[in-house]
Amino acid sequence: MKEIKEVEKALSGLLEKYAVKPASPFRMQKEGTEDELILLPGYCFENSVTEANEIPLLSWRAKRKFVELKKIVADTVIEDICLLRFLSMGCPDKWSLYSLVYRELDIVEYIGNGRIVSVNAVFAGKEAGNIILKLDNGALCSIEVGIQMPQGSKLLDRHEIIARRGVASDRVVDSQVPLSSIYSFTGEGEKRFTDTDMELYGFCENQVDHIRSAFQVFKNPDLIEIWRKQHSHLVHLTRQVFESDEKREKIIL
Amino acid sequence: MKPVKIAMLSLTHGHTRKYYQTLNDNPKLEWIAVYAETEKVKKNFLDWGYDIPCYLDEKEMFDKHPDIEAVVMASANNRHLHQFRECAKRGIHVLSMKIPTFDLEEYDEINDLVDKAGIVCQVELEMHYNPVVTRLYELAANNELGRVSAINATNITLSPVWAFPWQGVPEESYGKRVRLKEGDHRFRGGALCDHPHVFDLIRWMTGSDFDYVFAEVGPNIRQDLEVEDTLLVSGKMKNGVSFLFDPSWSRLEERLEVPGPGWEIFPKRMEVNVSVSGEKGVMMVDCFGPNVYHNGKPNDRYTVQYTYFDEWIGMMDEFVDCIRNRKNPKINLNWHRKTIEFVNACYESISTGKTIYL
Repeated sequence: MKEIKEVEKALSGLLEKYAVKPASPFRMQKEGTEDELILLPGYCFENSVTEANEIPLLSWRAKRKFVELKKIVADTVIEDICLLRFLSMGCPDKWSLYSLVYRELDIVEYIGNGRIVSVNAVFAGKEAGNIILKLDNGALCSIEVGIQMPQGSKLLDRHEIIARRGVASDRVVDSQVPLSSIYSFTGEGEKRFTDTDMELYGFCENQVDHIRSAFQVFKNPDLIEIWRKQHSHLVHLTRQVFESDEKREKIIL
Repeated sequence: MKPVKIAMLSLTHGHTRKYYQTLNDNPKLEWIAVYAETEKVKKNFLDWGYDIPCYLDEKEMFDKHPDIEAVVMASANNRHLHQFRECAKRGIHVLSMKIPTFDLEEYDEINDLVDKAGIVCQVELEMHYNPVVTRLYELAANNELGRVSAINATNITLSPVWAFPWQGVPEESYGKRVRLKEGDHRFRGGALCDHPHVFDLIRWMTGSDFDYVFAEVGPNIRQDLEVEDTLLVSGKMKNGVSFLFDPSWSRLEERLEVPGPGWEIFPKRMEVNVSVSGEKGVMMVDCFGPNVYHNGKPNDRYTVQYTYFDEWIGMMDEFVDCIRNRKNPKINLNWHRKTIEFVNACYESISTGKTIYL
């Protein structure tokens, strides 16, 4: 994984290439000076109301697969969503249950084209758990989360949308794990590579998402307020999810 | 060992045709006769070409073949009590479909009948004879993942109601007409009644029982059904393992009256997948993989062709062993009662919107 300074430099490079001038100096990590804008994935900010210089990014929304899944739903390529089945298994050195839940709740609303109106959660300690949700468009959703993948593992996720007409997914039918672009089998073992972004070649998936989403907010500053509102909503939702587990009851929002 | 003389009742259950090959090929069985509930069912059976007498009257079959020792009770759920009474009277051993009944009073009556008659009753939960599941149980027993936190599973399929209409009729599938919840036009008897396997699997894997459950129905994919076709179930076992089950009919199908090629609209008509999360890592399991694929006849649609074949063999082998050696089957009525209680608890949760404790 590349160093954060390279990530910031890559963003600067994109901004210059597309003649986008950021409103202020910025950084993409927590440490820095007060006059810098802090651009981080939303789950990094614990408070629902962020400071003026904090910009919560919904960085996964920049991911090509989610952009395409959203389009499939929004363009009614599949029609009348009934069920969404999401799964997100991470490793404890990169993820917490909170960050996974926050991310997946947003993806439910983003792709599912609706607002979450109820949650019911069951967690097994701080390691794994499941959430059943309802959207205001009637769709029923499940989110399975866990942070028990071995250290250093890539996020193992699945997003399936089942409709009256059609099913869409980021997982091939009859497969259990995501595909990679390149598989290399040598005496040193198996290696896999997945590269989806030529301009940001060499950065890992999360870093690509981070840079692309930060670029989006600089290019479309209106997005900052939209994402701040959504962040506030997500912090509240995530808290409700954990409260539902504590109380062992469904919470209607 | 003398082959067990076996017959089949009704032939209206979705798994009926899976037994034909086993009954025909297994040297431990002597296939004596079948009873078909209707002319149409009889015709479907005769089209298979087995040289086995087919009766339209259950009593006539039993009277003409008093040597029948066992039956596969391949009927709608609401027929089982009557058929158990008949079999118990005659001392005939029963391989029951996965739901003897949802009514616990009836269930206990069936259990009593079986006990008093001294017959073997095995419940058809064929996943226990699946090699992937066997490996999964072995890995769990060997502590592959350490302390387990969560076991999540799907038991999702297409809907069988067009070929086996009783599964879409609340009185025949659930046993009575009970509204799913206030204000809902649907009734109990759909996908949840069809998919108990994973509820049983988690009990085996954890050695524990259900502590509490929350279940919720989604909108029907098939809007003309009066039973549920999508739902989700979550909760916790008494040993702390959390679970999420999806037992939906969420794979769309062509409305064929006889299952066959071209049934699938979604390429894969059935899956039982399990994910296990534990302190040492995560396991993802496909109980029916790997498969082969084609997009040929009849619809030129990309279709998953399963390659598994031998669950039914193992299950019938156990049934014969229990009959001949006077043993109690692994999946017997006493064991299975808690799974039936769990299904009822899911429906109660759907009805009330509340967490239900077991």
